[in-house]
Amino acid sequence: METVIRGLVLYVFLMIIFRISGKRTLYEATVFDFVLLLIIAETAEQALVGEDHSMMNSFVLIITLLLADISLSLLKQKYNYFGKVLDGVPVILLDDGKVLHEQLKKVRVDEADIMESARALRGLERLDQIKYAILEKDGKITIIPKDQEQKEIEKV
Amino acid sequence: MKKHRGELEIDEDIQLESNSWKIQRVAWVIMALVIIAALLGFTGDGGIGNLQSLKAGDSSELLEVEYERFLRRSAPAEIKVKLAPSTSNSLTDLHLSKDFYEKFQIDKVVPEPSEVYTHEQGITYSFTTANQPFSVTFYLTPKGMGSLPLHFSTDKKKVAITQFIYP
Repeated sequence: METVIRGLVLYVFLMIIFRISGKRTLYEATVFDFVLLLIIAETAEQALVGEDHSMMNSFVLIITLLLADISLSLLKQKYNYFGKVLDGVPVILLDDGKVLHEQLKKVRVDEADIMESARALRGLERLDQIKYAILEKDGKITIIPKDQEQKEIEKV
Repeated sequence: MKKHRGELEIDEDIQLESNSWKIQRVAWVIMALVIIAALLGFTGDGGIGNLQSLKAGDSSELLEVEYERFLRRSAPAEIKVKLAPSTSNSLTDLHLSKDFYEKFQIDKVVPEPSEVYTHEQGITYSFTTANQPFSVTFYLTPKGMGSLPLHFSTDKKKVAITQFIYP
């Protein structure tokens, strides 16, 4: 019984803590974020398993975590708003070529991050080639280039 | 799905998002408060200035208990008891309430008692003494959770403490 409680408590705790840390936390896998993720995983593992290293414990734990995940996704599907609260919604960072600085500040993203995605996803060179930049709910930045740029790319 | 500027199909909900930003800011403050509380020892495992390390009883009346206010389940803990030798008996008895051995795994008692026995009220340790005040240290591992009231008593004096065990 304790395993199930441990699993559920930690599941909910991690969910809340990552939700309130913001989307971009731990998304960009810079070296340090990677290290941080490893340390958090290691720490959580101790709280999950405790001193019981039996196989039965890990079976129960894995099933608990997966079942929690499944139930949550079912809930999200059924109650749309619940999903929005839990996962957040996409945020427009660059609207029709105009940078929304207020939004950038709130989500802790800067123009360099947008350009990074623009280069990686679209091969763009300048900020003014971007029509929309959107911070998706998983922390990724997606880019929609301006039409003329798209045509030029198609020509080439 | 909503359309932004009539072309971009996006499920944006800026109201929800700005609420969640506000909640995030509040949560960061709460996280900082948790860390401060931890530094001050409110989550167990010591702290700046040993604020949560308490003494109960009186060393002049010769039953004094040194203990930590907050403990953590499965993390090693210590309770130190200072005692006066019994005048009437060669063995000095220390009585502890039942919760003591039910909620703690007693790893080690220094010095080793000559006799230990349990009874309806709890557990009694008898120590041989050199006829001068002495101290006994209990090395413990908390097994239970929550608030834990304990009674320590000798033939003459009684001391009550309350500890809290975090899960």
